[in-house]
Amino acid sequence: MHYGVSESKESFVLLTEGLRKSFSFGNSKIEVLHSVDLTLKKSESLSIRGDSGCGKSTLLNLLARLELADSGSVYWEGKKLNASEKPSTHEISKRASFLGVIYQSYYLIPELTVLENVLLPNRFLDRVDSTQRQRAMDLLEKMGVLDKQNQIPGKLSGGERQRVAIARAMINYPEVILADEPTGNLDERTGGEVMDLLLQSCVEEETSLILVTHNPKFARATSRSSVLQDGTLNEV
Amino acid sequence: MKLPWPLYLAWKQLFPSQRKISFFSLLAIVGVALGVNVMIVVIAFMQGFQEKFKSDIIDAQGHARMIPVNPQGRSMDVLSSLGEKDEIIGISSYVQGQLLLQNRDYNSIPFAIGLEPDSCSEVLPLNEFLKQGHSVMDSHDAVDLTPSPTTDALEDEVVFISLEVANRLGVRPAAILQLLDENKTGLMDGEDGRIEVRRLDPFISSGEWILEILGSNRIMIREVISNFETVRKIRDGVIDLGYGNPVFEIKKGSKPFLPGMIFRYQCFRSSTIEVYSPSMIEKAKSDEMSPPYEVRVGGIIEVPWQGFHSEVVLGTARFMQVMKNQRDSADGYYLKFSDELARDEVKLASICKQLEGIWSDNWVVIPWFVENAWFFELLQFEEYLMILIMIPIGLVAAFAIAIALMTSVMRKIREIGLLVAMGAGQISVGFIFCLQGLIIGTLGAFLGCGLAIVFIHYRDQLMSFIVEQIAGEDGQVGVSQFYDFYSLKVNYPWESPASLINFLSFATFAIMVSTVAGLLPAWRAARLNPADALRSE
Repeated sequence: MHYGVSESKESFVLLTEGLRKSFSFGNSKIEVLHSVDLTLKKSESLSIRGDSGCGKSTLLNLLARLELADSGSVYWEGKKLNASEKPSTHEISKRASFLGVIYQSYYLIPELTVLENVLLPNRFLDRVDSTQRQRAMDLLEKMGVLDKQNQIPGKLSGGERQRVAIARAMINYPEVILADEPTGNLDERTGGEVMDLLLQSCVEEETSLILVTHNPKFARATSRSSVLQDGTLNEV
Repeated sequence: MKLPWPLYLAWKQLFPSQRKISFFSLLAIVGVALGVNVMIVVIAFMQGFQEKFKSDIIDAQGHARMIPVNPQGRSMDVLSSLGEKDEIIGISSYVQGQLLLQNRDYNSIPFAIGLEPDSCSEVLPLNEFLKQGHSVMDSHDAVDLTPSPTTDALEDEVVFISLEVANRLGVRPAAILQLLDENKTGLMDGEDGRIEVRRLDPFISSGEWILEILGSNRIMIREVISNFETVRKIRDGVIDLGYGNPVFEIKKGSKPFLPGMIFRYQCFRSSTIEVYSPSMIEKAKSDEMSPPYEVRVGGIIEVPWQGFHSEVVLGTARFMQVMKNQRDSADGYYLKFSDELARDEVKLASICKQLEGIWSDNWVVIPWFVENAWFFELLQFEEYLMILIMIPIGLVAAFAIAIALMTSVMRKIREIGLLVAMGAGQISVGFIFCLQGLIIGTLGAFLGCGLAIVFIHYRDQLMSFIVEQIAGEDGQVGVSQFYDFYSLKVNYPWESPASLINFLSFATFAIMVSTVAGLLPAWRAARLNPADALRSE
């Protein structure tokens, strides 16, 4: 997944070089990622498949700078970030506008209503106003859960919760959405609907997507597909 | 208004959308509020007791006492100089000592104080003490109508004694019982026309008085033993038959007096006490025997200040001068200053010092708070001890909050990871839990202050209820003798700076402790690795 000679690093919205990550368990050390190189252009979607425990979620955490790599670099919009060093304050503040995250378990804040959950990333940027509120309502409408805007997450079904999580991930017009098995907790039909909404939204908003999934059908729906095996990422 | 997001999330976690309040928040806030309430109320009551003691002490001995440095300096010449001072609004000399009182075979050696009848009321509210000192006579059908004595009855041959002395000697002041009232309907007081006794001087004789309505405006008054008889007009109201006789007062009511109605009263003379003084012993040594001085009991005196002599006899200054064979001299002066001066202890101490200088330090002027410093130091110590005992209440609340917030951190561990993944700073995430402690403490402090105000407002009703539950209805009287909650002046925070400081101190303490309680969970949350948090099960 190396970028071509003619392409500069700035042309990629997300890029990694030689990412390595290992975990220690007592005296033994297991290397889950060996020199992972990944590229993602604007509006591109990339699926990552792989066996359970192969390091897919770890890779997403490294991309989001939530975890430190042993070595290697991550580039956000062409800007090099040392993946083995703690993220700077600037990186942390940029994370809210650069990344949107979606997890298998939704992770909606139970004390907030649906609308408040969607607006939460705006609060990190101190950008809660009527425009953002309207944006949140539009996203909820697109996800088909506008009528649930004043309900708390506990009253929603799994599919509805994940739709809310997608709306929350998209609220700040992020460059990249990192989706870690977003349909893992949903039945096939609901999972399909949610995935269609996610992919469609990313296309409409020109947002890049990295989708970790076990489902080959969903993987095929992305513009590029890859497999993480034995610590390396191979495009298929 | 835009809230900073950590404050927004902290508030939402305590008061979630679609729900008014979380169970944890309710418990935590109520816990803090109860702690604050208890601490404020206890100290407010202690301050109330201090105020009451202060007022009782000033009532019992004025704002200051002026005492000669040596016994030869007892001249009363200073009186005129004291009277010229604008700051002094009341002066009364006193002569004091120990006397032996005797009634048949019963003896008592109380502390004796002689006061100037004309001026003592400027300094000491003696009538209030006498009002409380009326010993009621119980009888089956009779009603005790003995009026409260006043300082007007204080003469050289009349003394007021404390209840302890009266009991020890088996003596009592004059009393009058109403044995028959033919106009009585048993309805509420004030409904019937009735005949009361306005004054009963100490030299009244024992006897039976019969009052009979003769017509619409005439009443016959007869004393059975002496056969004294007179007819007076009813519209006169007060029937004063002269010294040595009761003064009746006719009070008309909705039920009028009818001709032939009889009112009967039994009058009991006051006891006589024989008084022996140390000067009589001196005379006896030189074979001069003088007879004991005889005085009548004018009334019972009860001084609310517990530090005052429990066995005391109060007479005129002249009576004490005779007893001590100490003519035209005083053992000291009670002084009362203007309210403005009396309120400020520093100013009061300063003026007392100035007064001492006037007479070349031959007199010492001791303000009330210096003379009773030991007592107030004891109360202060008790107050500090109470605070010391109550601080653990606050700390227990803090531990409870810390544990609850720590549990919250553990429960929300994946949410914490998510917040960081969405762009929140880790320190800011930790701040959420610290702010929760602050919010709990602030709301708890406000609620606690409110509860304390309610408790102070309804203190009589609450105390009555508590005492009644513990000691029963009869126990109320006994308990109130020792803990006079009912007349206790407990200030609201807007009424006195001390009360305001009390409220603010405990509210601030609660807020600080709750905020500190949130620090540990906050630190724990801030240190969480977001990736580990997201992975956690």
